[in-house]
Amino acid sequence: MPYQLDNRPADLREQMYFPEIIRGIGAVTAHFLRNLFFTRDANPDILDRPRGLGKSDNVTIFYPEEKAPYPPGYRGLHRLVPRGDGLPRCVACYMCATACPAQCIYIEAGEYPGDPVEKYPVKFVIDELRCVVCGFCVEACPKDAIRMDTGEHAPPSYERDVQQLHEQALLRGPSVDYAGDPWLKRAAPSIPADKLAAMKAAATPYPADATDEYAQTPGFSVKALAAEARARSERGGR
Amino acid sequence: MAEDKKPEAPAAAAPKPPPPPGPPAPPPPKNPGLVTAVVDGREVVVKPGTTVIEAAQGMGIDIPYYCWHKRLSVAANCRQCLVEMSNAPGGKLVPSCQVPLTEGVVVKTDTPRVKDQQRANLELLLLNHPVDCSICDQAGECKLQDYYMQFDAQPSRLDIPKNTKGKRIELGPTVTLDQERCILCTRCVRFMREVAKNPQLGVANRGTRSVITTFPGQPLDDRYAGNVVDLCPVGALTATDFRFRGRVWFMSSARSLCTGCARGCNVALDYLDTTAYRLRPRENADVNQEWMCDQGRTTYKALNAGRVLAARLGRGAAAARATRDEALKAAGLALAEARRAGGVAVLLSPVASLEDLLAACHVAKEGLGAAEVFVGGRPDGWQDDFLKKADENPNRKGLELAAQAYGLAVRPFADLVAAARAGRVGALWVVGAEVPDAAGAEALAALPVLVVQAVNEGPLAAAATALLPASPHAEGDGTFVNFEGRAQRFEAAWHPRGEARPHLALAGALGRALGLKVPWGTARETWLALSPRLAGVALWDFKWDSLPSVGRRKGHLPLAAGTVDGRLAGQKERLPPEGSEPAKRGVAPTSW
Repeated sequence: MPYQLDNRPADLREQMYFPEIIRGIGAVTAHFLRNLFFTRDANPDILDRPRGLGKSDNVTIFYPEEKAPYPPGYRGLHRLVPRGDGLPRCVACYMCATACPAQCIYIEAGEYPGDPVEKYPVKFVIDELRCVVCGFCVEACPKDAIRMDTGEHAPPSYERDVQQLHEQALLRGPSVDYAGDPWLKRAAPSIPADKLAAMKAAATPYPADATDEYAQTPGFSVKALAAEARARSERGGR
Repeated sequence: MAEDKKPEAPAAAAPKPPPPPGPPAPPPPKNPGLVTAVVDGREVVVKPGTTVIEAAQGMGIDIPYYCWHKRLSVAANCRQCLVEMSNAPGGKLVPSCQVPLTEGVVVKTDTPRVKDQQRANLELLLLNHPVDCSICDQAGECKLQDYYMQFDAQPSRLDIPKNTKGKRIELGPTVTLDQERCILCTRCVRFMREVAKNPQLGVANRGTRSVITTFPGQPLDDRYAGNVVDLCPVGALTATDFRFRGRVWFMSSARSLCTGCARGCNVALDYLDTTAYRLRPRENADVNQEWMCDQGRTTYKALNAGRVLAARLGRGAAAARATRDEALKAAGLALAEARRAGGVAVLLSPVASLEDLLAACHVAKEGLGAAEVFVGGRPDGWQDDFLKKADENPNRKGLELAAQAYGLAVRPFADLVAAARAGRVGALWVVGAEVPDAAGAEALAALPVLVVQAVNEGPLAAAATALLPASPHAEGDGTFVNFEGRAQRFEAAWHPRGEARPHLALAGALGRALGLKVPWGTARETWLALSPRLAGVALWDFKWDSLPSVGRRKGHLPLAAGTVDGRLAGQKERLPPEGSEPAKRGVAPTSW
């Protein structure tokens, strides 16, 4: 917290020297006693901790029992996004592997016999040791099939193999469906009718404005984002 | 018709009235016998009958098109190539693929009107297109993608559900059809009608319901059906064999030749690292125009699977893996021994390249004192009057030339089998283990000394006393001579796999073991050293260096620098693999 120092000549009290020394020692002692006798607040969000008398100023976070939350844009561990029926959204188009500057994504494509999507990743390996966490794979994905929204960073390990995440380990987290997805439009035989209806009901609808820029990307709308930003600014929020 | 009589002319013909004044006669042509016109402000002189698109291409002007194809009839149905012409009726845009240039006409291919037409037409073609590029095998070589980025780049304005048609239709054994991606350019229909002469494809239904299809219940099983996959400008027709195997922007292409028969069709061998993925015909107006048969398309599989990648000594239970040098040493000793004992028969394969066979003949003549060579090779197959020859060996003519250059008699495989059965063959040196009949190979399997240089596993390779791993044509430079005596170069795609080395390198090593001076290392050195022996042979205007095979290839680098195996496509595959001796020396090998 920087604050302005006004560059003025020392006043009488400061020229006398000792009163200021004693005042400084007093401030240090007050902090010392407060941190010694009052408990540390365990809220990992440091800025949200209550302050003032009766509260310790100690900001230590006891990792890993306590973890500071990452900001919403944090690029954490990858995950392969499942669709409503648990299969990966990924169609093995190799866009992420193409865009990856670290070349840490390995894919082998295979064919679904009955699914309208036709293609799926038989193998999908991300070497987290090679990954430079740039997020290009998420940007490149045309199907919203890979995300870095887990909020976890790569776990430490004693073996390198642990850091190579395969498709079984990557496929997790909340499922995502868009109204335009082929398995909703064309009813895959592997999805029972009631399940399909539920998936359709829960799916992100078609964007309302088809002439929007990026309308090819399901669920993404520049205009909607702009409207949100306008609404926020009118609310006076951040 | 016989009853119809011409009306008799009136008896007294009145003098003809003067003809009504028509348009003024056109000015005489600027260049008599030729047509002179102006395209985009530049004057161009072409032969009469040249269409606008051909003239423009000759001038380096790119007019976009989908349905036009140089070797097919003109359909003019994709409407992507419309241009402005000064003689167009009513000032309409005209299809440049269909309209010939005429004297004095002014063509404009880059006006705002033409550009807007190109954009609007792409919007129409893409209106109901599923845009499933992430699934489609054509992604990366799709003209819809290319032209969309070049001419359109607008978001879709369609706000109703798209038309749905059939997806993943197995038209036949080699071709899969996705009717939604089809833009109905009818190139495939015209190919089957005009080139394959087997009209199995057609357009059914009307309007937005139009689909490409076969007759009900009939497959697309023509032997040239695979060409419609190459013809298809979009992802509608895809090769079942290549389906979902890989993405084309990772792959490199080597200019190669099809080894399926004696025609020697020019192909592009698409590969990544040391794996071949597919063959595509390359244009050569004298050999295959730009077509190839479906059987030839499958020949790449022998480069990947069933390869001999390590040397082996001993046969049956005594077989043990050896290093290539050990095996070469043992084989050289065995051949030298056999030569002292009574002579070594030599079996050459017409699948090996001309350089390989020259080297083998050199060693057979100078090192082993042979007077004749036997010809192995694959058995004969089917033949038609278009491309495929019955002889399924790419280099039989080259074998004959190489043997002739060294004065060796060429004898058929059956003679060798008969001699082996009669016990007249003590030792056999096999360069290329393809054999026409397995029964004959059994007779050779019992020979006490059988040195085999094999590319693929087979009966002879299994029975060898010394098995040497050889490289196929994809792993080295060389020449094939096709059935009509046309010598054609092919280029190395990747560094030899495993322990394999080209036949000429193995033959050279055996020659050294037999006490010869071997004046060659690479294929080019082999050609320079041994081709003077071919002096009496007319290889037409063949020049070995006509296909520059070293250094960077032409073509654009992929935009994205990533590849699946961590290599830039087309950049490093020809460097030696990690751990090999040349890699340790830090250089690509100049000789073996």
